[in-house]
Amino acid sequence: MKFTFKAVLAAAIMSVGLGAGSTVQAGKRLVLPDLDWTGAVVTCRTIQWVLENHMDYKVKNVSMPGGPGVWEAIRAGDIDFYCEAWPSYNPIKSEYVKEYGGDGSLVRIADTGIIGASGYFTPRYVIEGDSSRGIEAVAPNLKTVQDLNQYKHHFKSLESGDRGNLIACPEVAWLCEDQERMDGLGVDFHAQNMGSETAHWAEMQAKYKRGEPFIAYAWTPHWIFAALDLVEVELPAYDEAKWPATNWPQDICFKFGSPASIEKHPEVVALLEKHRLTNAQQAGMIYEVDVNKRDVDEVVAEWMEANESVWRTWLP
Amino acid sequence: MQDSKAISGSTSTDGLWSEYRHWLIGAVVLVISILIWKAQGGETVFPESWISAFPFADKVNEFDRWMRPFLQPTTRALGAGVTWFYEYIVDLLIFTQWQIVLVVLVLPAFAYGGLRLGLFAVAAVGSWLVLDMWDEAMETLSLMCISIAFSAVVGIALGIGASQSNRLETVIKPILDTMQTLPAYIYLIPAFFLFGIGAPGAILATVIYALPPIVRLTNLGIRQVPAGIDEAATSFGATTRQSLIKVKIPLAIPAIKLGINQTVMMALALVVLATFIGAPGLGDIVLRGMQRLNVGKALEGGLAIVLMAILLDRVTHAMGQEQQRTDQGRTQIFRLFPQSLESLRLIRYLELGIDFVWRQIGRVGRGATHAVALIPCALIRTYDTDWSSRLRDFLLRHSFFIASLVLIWVMVLLDAYLDIFGNFPKAWEYRFRTPVNQYMDVLVTNETFYAITTGIKKGLYFGLINPLNIFLKGLPWWYTSLFFVAIAYLVSGRALAAITLIGFLFIGATDLWAFSMITLSTVTVSVLICFIVGVPLGVLAAYSKTADGILKPILDTMQTMPVFVYLVPVIMLFGGGQIPAVIATVIYAIPPLIRCTTLGIRELPDEIDEVSDSFGASVFQTLMKVKIPMAIPAIMIGVNQGIMMALAMEVITPLIGGKGLGLEVFTGMSTASIGMSLQAGIGIVLLAIILDRISQAWTKTQREAMGLS
Repeated sequence: MKFTFKAVLAAAIMSVGLGAGSTVQAGKRLVLPDLDWTGAVVTCRTIQWVLENHMDYKVKNVSMPGGPGVWEAIRAGDIDFYCEAWPSYNPIKSEYVKEYGGDGSLVRIADTGIIGASGYFTPRYVIEGDSSRGIEAVAPNLKTVQDLNQYKHHFKSLESGDRGNLIACPEVAWLCEDQERMDGLGVDFHAQNMGSETAHWAEMQAKYKRGEPFIAYAWTPHWIFAALDLVEVELPAYDEAKWPATNWPQDICFKFGSPASIEKHPEVVALLEKHRLTNAQQAGMIYEVDVNKRDVDEVVAEWMEANESVWRTWLP
Repeated sequence: MQDSKAISGSTSTDGLWSEYRHWLIGAVVLVISILIWKAQGGETVFPESWISAFPFADKVNEFDRWMRPFLQPTTRALGAGVTWFYEYIVDLLIFTQWQIVLVVLVLPAFAYGGLRLGLFAVAAVGSWLVLDMWDEAMETLSLMCISIAFSAVVGIALGIGASQSNRLETVIKPILDTMQTLPAYIYLIPAFFLFGIGAPGAILATVIYALPPIVRLTNLGIRQVPAGIDEAATSFGATTRQSLIKVKIPLAIPAIKLGINQTVMMALALVVLATFIGAPGLGDIVLRGMQRLNVGKALEGGLAIVLMAILLDRVTHAMGQEQQRTDQGRTQIFRLFPQSLESLRLIRYLELGIDFVWRQIGRVGRGATHAVALIPCALIRTYDTDWSSRLRDFLLRHSFFIASLVLIWVMVLLDAYLDIFGNFPKAWEYRFRTPVNQYMDVLVTNETFYAITTGIKKGLYFGLINPLNIFLKGLPWWYTSLFFVAIAYLVSGRALAAITLIGFLFIGATDLWAFSMITLSTVTVSVLICFIVGVPLGVLAAYSKTADGILKPILDTMQTMPVFVYLVPVIMLFGGGQIPAVIATVIYAIPPLIRCTTLGIRELPDEIDEVSDSFGASVFQTLMKVKIPMAIPAIMIGVNQGIMMALAMEVITPLIGGKGLGLEVFTGMSTASIGMSLQAGIGIVLLAIILDRISQAWTKTQREAMGLS
C-alpha cells in the first residue's frame, strides 16, 4: 500500500513539475511511413528534413512494408502522406485514387520526380563470359526471359530444386507477382523472396563475387548497376491485358494523402506539390546509405545542406 | 536393473513388450508412413473442392469491408484517446531535462534494491543516453507504463471477482489457460486490424496479453488467505466486503506484486514486438537494423532492450520483497563485484570508495529530511506535542523518499529558473555499430568462417529440415491428420481427438496445408535439436556445480530477453533464410529444456544413488538406466514448453527469412488482407493448442505411470 501511495505521489509531482515542458504545437504533428526500400526512405526524409528544420513540424516515422497495408493505413488516417508510390506495383490505386478510377478516399498530390523502371537482370559474365576472372559464358544466347528455360539447370538453388531460381522481388507486399509472371510466360523458374531489400542486394553481390550465374529482379534508379555489370533480360513489352505476363510499365512515381490530412495540413501539401527529386539525386543518397552504411538522417541532412538552392524552391 | 529383471524371468516377454512397446509402435507407424509416402503419387494435397467450399479468407475480408464504415470510427476514436494519453507521457519524458528523468527513473532502484541495483540502474539508463536511444527508450517505457497500469487495474478487478465467485472462476480459468498457450504475436493481429498502426494497437494488445498472470495470482492470493483469518474478521462483526477489502486483499498483496512482476516482463516482450504493427520505441531500432542488415545497429538496440528488461525485472522483483533495502542501516561492507575478486586491491578501494560516498549521500538525505520535518513539526508542536513527534518519526522513517522528492524538486526548480542543465553532450555519445559492422564484414567474407556457417546450414538443411519437409509434404493430408487424431485419442480422449480433427480440417480447407507442414517440420527439427543439446547440458548442470554456476546466469538472462533480440546474433553469424530461422528458434526454446532436465534429476531422492550403488552400478550407468528414465516426466515438461516457444518463434522468424504459417500472417498484414492473417494466425493457434494438449496429456500419463502425482 505504501508503494501505491508513493507511486501516485511521485507521478503527481512529476506531472506538476514537468508539465510545462511540452513544446510541440497542436496540429504540427505528422506521421510519415518509413517504407522498406532505401529510395522511398530517402525521398520521404528530404521532405521531412524541410518540415522539421524550417516548418516546425514534429514527424514520427513508422516502419512499414510498401504495399496495400500502407495505403489502407493512410486511408484510415494512421499515416498522413506517402512520398513515393510506384503505380505499376499498386493495383489498389484503382480502388482508392480518383485519377485511377477509385472512390477518392486517397488523393494524388503531385509527382515525386522519380521515374522508375523495373526488370530482370543477369551479370554480363553469364552471357559473354569473363576471361580475366576465368568465368565461362553459361548462357550465350540468353536474350529474353523465355530463353531461360534452356539454361535453367545453371540457375538451380537449394530452394528451387530442379527448376531454375529467380532472385525475385524481396517483399511479398510489393505485389511484384514474379511467380505468376514466370508461370504465365511458361518459364520453369522458382521465384525466391529474400525477405528484405538489403538481403536481396547482399545475395546478388555474394553471387557476383563468386562468379555464379543468377537472374535477379532489380529497378532503377539504383546503385547496383554501378556496382555490378548487369544486362537486362528482356520481358515482352508492357501490355495491360496480359499482366502479369509482361514487363512493368515505366513508373511515374507520385505522392498522395488522405483527404482529411490534406485538409488539415495545407502547408505540407504546398510543400509536397513543389517538392521534386531526380533519379540521379536519389541514387547518390541511396549509395551513401546502402553501400557506406551511413545513417539515413545524416546522409539526407548533408545533402540538403549542400543543395540549399534545390530545396529552397520547394518551400511553399 | 538388469539383475532385477532376470529374477522375474517368468514374465520376461511381457516385460520386454511393455518396455519396448513405444518403440515398436513407433517403428510400425514409421514403416507404414514410408510405405504410404512411397505409394502415394501426387495425391497428397487437400481436395480442391473442399478448399473452394470454405473461402474463409474471402468471407472475412468481405465482412471486414462491410463492417469497416461502422467499426472504424469507433475504434479510431478509442485509439485517439489512448494516443493522447500516450503522447502526453512521452512528451513529458522526452521534453523534460534528461538529468531529471534519469534521477526519477533511477531512484526506485536505489529505494527498493539498494546500492547495487541502483548503480545498475544508472548504468542501464545511462546506456540509452550514451547510445543515443533516449527518445526510443522513453517511448518503450511509456508504452509499458500505460499498458501495465491498465492491465493491473483490469487484472486485479477480474482476479478479485474470480476469487469471490466460483462460477466466474470456472469461466475464466479455461480462457486464461488458452491465452497463455497463444504465441504473443497472435495478439497483435486483431489489434492491428481494429486499431491500425501505432501506439493504440500495441497498448491494447499488451494489456490483454499481460492479463493472465495478474488475474491468476490475485485470485490465488485472495483464495489462499486462511479461512481462520476470514472467520476471525467476520466474528468481529466485519461484513464480507469489509473482510475482503480490509483483510484479504492486503494479505494477498505479495501475490499481486508477483503477478505484476510477471506482467512487466510479458508487457516488455510484446511492446518490443509491437514494432511490427508500427509501434514506436526500441524495437523499431532492432527491426530497422535487421531489415538493413545493419547488424551493429540491431545489436545496439538489442543491448538497450536487454538492459531495460533486466532493470525492470529486478526493480519490480525488489518491490515485491517485503522489507525495503536502502542499505543505509546495514553494517556489512558493500560489494559490487563477486567475492572472488576481493584480493584485488583496486577493487577493494573502489568498493570502499563507493560505499563511503553512498553513506555520505545517505547522511545528506537524512539531513534534508530533518530540515523538511523541522517546520511542520514545529507548527504542530504548538497544538499537540505527541502528534508532532509521531509525524517526525514518520518522516524520518521515510527519509529516502523525502530526500528523493527534495532532490527532484530542487532539480526542477533549477531547470525552470536557472536553466543550468544542457542537452546530453554529443561527446559522451558512443556508437559501436560502425566497428561491429566493419568487423562483421571482415568475418563474413572470411573463407573459413563462410565454410563453417555454410557447412552448418547445409548440414541442417540436407540432414534434417529438407528430408522432414519433403516427407511431411509427401504424406497425404488424411494420413497426417489421422495420425495426430489417433495420438490425441490415445493420450487424452475423445474431446482432444475432436479438436485435433477440426484443427487439421480447418488448416486444410483454408489451403494452408503446405505452410503448416513447413511450420510443423521447423518446430519438430528445432525441438529435436533443443533436446539433443539441452538434455546433456541439463544433466551436466545437475552433476557439476561449476557447469550450473556458468549456465544459471546465462539462462536467467536468456529468459528475461524479449524474443526479438534472439534474431540479432543469428542474422549476424548465419545471415537470413529458413535455416537461420531454425537456429534462432533453437536458441530461444532451449532454456526450459535445460532447466527441466536439471530439476528432474536433482529432485530425485538420494536413496536412488545408494541403491544403484549397492547393485554395483557406475555413476554413468545409474544416470542412463535409472535417473534419466525417472526424470522423463520433468524433461517432458521442458519439451512441452520448448514446443510452445518454438511455435511462438514461428511468427517472428519471417523477419530473417523463416517460412511457413508465420510468413502468411506477415503477408496478410502488409497486404491489408485480414482474412489471410487471421486464418494463418488461427492455424498457428490450433497447432499450438493441439501440440500443447497432446504433450501435456502424455506427460501426465507418464507421471501417473511412475506413481508421481
